[in-house]
Amino acid sequence: MKAKVQQQPQLKMDNLARKPVLTKEITLRILLYLGVFLVLLFVLVPYLWMVSGSFKTSLEIQAADVTRPDLAPRWIPRTFTLENYAKINKTVPMLDYFRNSMIISLGTMFFSIVISITAAYALSRFNFRGKTAVTFGVASTQLFPGIAFLIPYFILFTLINRYFGVQLRNTYPGMILTYTTFAIPFSILMLRNYLDTVPREIDEQAQIDGCSSIGALFRVIIPLSAPGIVAVGIYSFIMAWNEVLFASVLTGRATKTVAVGILEYITQQQARWSQMMAACIIISIPVLLLFTFMQRYIVEGIVSGATKG
Amino acid sequence: MGTSSKAKRVKAFWFILPAAICMLFVHFIPILWGAYISLLDLDVYTLADWTSAPFVRLGNYIKLFSGKFPVGQRFLRSVYNVFIYGLVTIPVGYVIGLLVALLLNREFIGRTFVRGLILLPYITPDSVAYNVWRFIFQARIGLVNKILLKIGLIQEPIIWLVGKRALSAVIIASIWKGWPFACLILLAGLQGIPAELYEAAKIDGASAWQQFKMVTLPMLAPVSKTLLLLNVIWNFHAYNQFYILLGGSVGEAHVPSTFIMQEAFTNLHYGLGSAMSVVLVLIVILLISILLAKRRAGYES
Repeated sequence: MKAKVQQQPQLKMDNLARKPVLTKEITLRILLYLGVFLVLLFVLVPYLWMVSGSFKTSLEIQAADVTRPDLAPRWIPRTFTLENYAKINKTVPMLDYFRNSMIISLGTMFFSIVISITAAYALSRFNFRGKTAVTFGVASTQLFPGIAFLIPYFILFTLINRYFGVQLRNTYPGMILTYTTFAIPFSILMLRNYLDTVPREIDEQAQIDGCSSIGALFRVIIPLSAPGIVAVGIYSFIMAWNEVLFASVLTGRATKTVAVGILEYITQQQARWSQMMAACIIISIPVLLLFTFMQRYIVEGIVSGATKG
Repeated sequence: MGTSSKAKRVKAFWFILPAAICMLFVHFIPILWGAYISLLDLDVYTLADWTSAPFVRLGNYIKLFSGKFPVGQRFLRSVYNVFIYGLVTIPVGYVIGLLVALLLNREFIGRTFVRGLILLPYITPDSVAYNVWRFIFQARIGLVNKILLKIGLIQEPIIWLVGKRALSAVIIASIWKGWPFACLILLAGLQGIPAELYEAAKIDGASAWQQFKMVTLPMLAPVSKTLLLLNVIWNFHAYNQFYILLGGSVGEAHVPSTFIMQEAFTNLHYGLGSAMSVVLVLIVILLISILLAKRRAGYES
């Protein structure tokens, strides 16, 4: 759109100097495409190296040596193999970690949506004393580095187990509770911004027509804010899928997620790079799929959440 | 009026309650409790009966700041590292993000596709992105050394992930991962600038550079400030990039989060770890207060 606007004055100048303007225009075009190409190169090279590595044999990577031209690592595998994908579960129980991540991320997604839509509804539609304080409290959680509450949180889990006999560490409910809470502050702010764009008259009318405020929430607000809810759900899922710090302390054999499980390919004794690259691709798939299908909603949500929140 | 507003308040309370309980349990109680633990000499032996852990008042803080204890020196070093890390990654990420946003704000074939592709680093899980970069930075089998040797910039393979170059390696990988977010926000900002402003500037005879300086940059100031605020907060959260890229052996390149993790969960000094966490939180709060105060002053003038 902007480009068209900029062309108009140049058209007028065409009469004065047609040739220089034209060559200048062409040069600019070429520079533009060159710039785009360089950006894409910068972005994509690590992915290409990852994909290439995932099809190499372990032997090829172990034998590689950058100082010797005949053994230098190559872009195209010397021997192409699918073994790294076929035996994904062999050295590291990656499929178990994948299942754990699925359960924890889907649980987080569900609870995060339920808890944040109600809170966002209250913040968007009700006027009450302390509303600013609540909003400030919600936003302030984003300030704390995870490490600042990890130590006491870990001790809290230990003490709850000791005094109440409830084990939260290394359990699905414990991890879902943790990640749900990580997801809700941003989700609440994002959904509140979204609900603010839905005209109040619509749910006020529903309440006049005899809906309770909960009825209005379910029958009117939730259907109307579906795109916002989708964005929040995906944000929560991805957050839980990717989290490393708390997972490295609070999960064990039974609940380890892909984000920390992937580190097991590299041990003191052995570096299984080709298998790790294959696993990297597999564990990126859910995140990439969700993002590709819902890109519009997520991008809108991130931008509005980040700039208005 | 009075009853209805009270009824509304009660309803709002119930709607917010689940979220509030979660945040109390996970965020606020641990933060406050952590501040208390930082006054205790709490370790794995006293954890069993934590109420009897010796109350050492500011003892842990003295350990950090008196300069007599190696652990204090190493902690201050980690704080220094995270500042260096931020002073490089934030401006460089911003400049790349802005340049690419200006590029993507023009029309060309395949623009929507390219706009989706550049978000890849931002959405790729940390543990994938930094493990791939760890592979790329390997000395003997890595891509970086392969390229540098080929174009003749180095004669011997460089060891990137151990020792003095570790911080640079983390910075490079983090810039790669971080700039698309800046780009996304700045692009949204660019699209919000009315075209009339550029037309007016052109009528006044402003060159492309003058237009950029007089129209684009000032109009991007609000989103840029928000971006800076977020980046400063996130800077002090830095953990994944160091922990994953350096494979757990962070060595010289410790930042507060990795150092606290090691003190608390490897050396099992929970009290000391909490004291360092409190210092970290205070640093973040201080910096954010300064930024917000400046922003407010900016709005008023």
